[in-house]
Amino acid sequence: MKIVTGVIGNDIHVVANRLMDLSLNARGYEVFNLGVNTYLEEFFDASVETGADVLLISSLNGEAEGWARDVKPLMSRYNSLDNLVMMIGGNLTVGSGSATDIIPRYQKYGFDLVCHQVDLNTGLDMLEDYLKEHKTS
Amino acid sequence: MSAESNKLLIDIGSTYFKVSTSNSIEQHFRDFNRTILDDLTQKCGDTVQRYDQSDVHICSSANGGLSTLIIGLTQSYSLKYATNIAYNSGINIIDSIVFQDIETYSVPSDLIDVVIVVGGIDSNSGLFDERLDNYLAKLNYSNFVFVGNEPDAQAIKSRIDNVTLLPNIIDNRLHIVETHLKDYLTNLYQQDIEGKEDIKHLYKITSNQIYSTPYVVNKSLPLINASFSVTDPFILLDIGGATTDVHYSKDLLTDNIVTEQGHDRIVFKKLGVYKSRQSLIFTAENNEFSYELLMHLKVTENIYNENSEKATKILMQLAIFLVLCKMSHYRPAYVTLKLLAMNSIVFTGGITKVLTTEDIEDVVAFFYRKILNSEHKPATVLDNNYDIWTLGAKEHAACQ
Repeated sequence: MKIVTGVIGNDIHVVANRLMDLSLNARGYEVFNLGVNTYLEEFFDASVETGADVLLISSLNGEAEGWARDVKPLMSRYNSLDNLVMMIGGNLTVGSGSATDIIPRYQKYGFDLVCHQVDLNTGLDMLEDYLKEHKTS
Repeated sequence: MSAESNKLLIDIGSTYFKVSTSNSIEQHFRDFNRTILDDLTQKCGDTVQRYDQSDVHICSSANGGLSTLIIGLTQSYSLKYATNIAYNSGINIIDSIVFQDIETYSVPSDLIDVVIVVGGIDSNSGLFDERLDNYLAKLNYSNFVFVGNEPDAQAIKSRIDNVTLLPNIIDNRLHIVETHLKDYLTNLYQQDIEGKEDIKHLYKITSNQIYSTPYVVNKSLPLINASFSVTDPFILLDIGGATTDVHYSKDLLTDNIVTEQGHDRIVFKKLGVYKSRQSLIFTAENNEFSYELLMHLKVTENIYNENSEKATKILMQLAIFLVLCKMSHYRPAYVTLKLLAMNSIVFTGGITKVLTTEDIEDVVAFFYRKILNSEHKPATVLDNNYDIWTLGAKEHAACQ
């Protein structure tokens, strides 16, 4: 299973990104890590070039929301991303906010899976469950 | 005398040719009623005869370059990588097409020298369907090269005639792989130069391969400090009769493509002061700051119709301004350089015979003030003895 990942926007939290890369590899994914400072268009373009099954965007400084608003309009320009599983995780807001508010908001932006302040392994377990569920359904 | 100084170096431009020996360097205006070989023999015959064929090294920029159309899967990877490689091989890009929208693009009517198709890593496939075949069927082209994913390469080969298949320029980590496409395009450029009737005759006086001038100049850039006091990052402008070549330090790029070379180059095919004079004037007329620059230089637009030394000087100053505009955010043409971070600006080619350092600094300062709103002043370096070309040619000759 191919997964494209990276840190969105002007966020340079490289250690978290490296940990994600290691964890995803350990779980058997074919990982395409775009690193930090990645823009939405690069995420989608990388998904097209690699034929990715999952796009996992991470954010630590909270700026993801600003970018996430453009997910749907930008994604609609691509013909080949209809089956791409969209996931986002990390710290998804600036300041304080509860997961009950944040998760539906990001789902509206176009994400299938949203992990706000969830530890890495729990988040990746959620992804595995999601993929299993969608494989069987 | 060292082996290096025994070489005779010749550069054939669209307007002038230059001949360099260990003791002197000559420059001659070309006689367009003769072949290059006849002209060279008539003007420098004695010099040429003193050298063995194996010691004569020739480069030429007189062919104006090849044209390419690039069809790629995405802007951020396949098109960006192929565009970078094409420019670095001295190829002019006519258009670049995102494959998923190929049906919305118009088909160029001009003959395209080479069509490049690229996209997908090797573990991806089935990306180029019959829409590619339909588009190519309408296109007039001489060469077609596929540098995309491996599985599609075989499928395309079975569907389209005369396709050249090269290894993918995108590796499995989405990084660029330059070598194969770059070699292919450089060789194509080479064959084009050699195929020109005029250039073919020059093999009577040399047994070495004739290279393109931008390629040779690019080779000299890592060694430039041997001859000049140049501080990185810098750009080098070679403003000639037909084309303008820009060589620049990669540190000036905002893009972060990791390649082996420290310097890239771009060839602006129609920005020259002799053969491309009309297109230079056309470009100037479409730039709203040109009028102000002419005022600053104390001339009017009537200068475009004059054929005087003064007119050539003004056109060269305009060419500097227009090229800097094309490399800036104001009129981006492929790359946008961080010109405020540039420490030196080096000029070579015919321009150094016409303009003084003050003339050039005046235009560069005008550009920074008007376009970048800055008082930044990179150091101006003039290569008025063609040392950069001879440095590159000697280096290249030593490697042959």
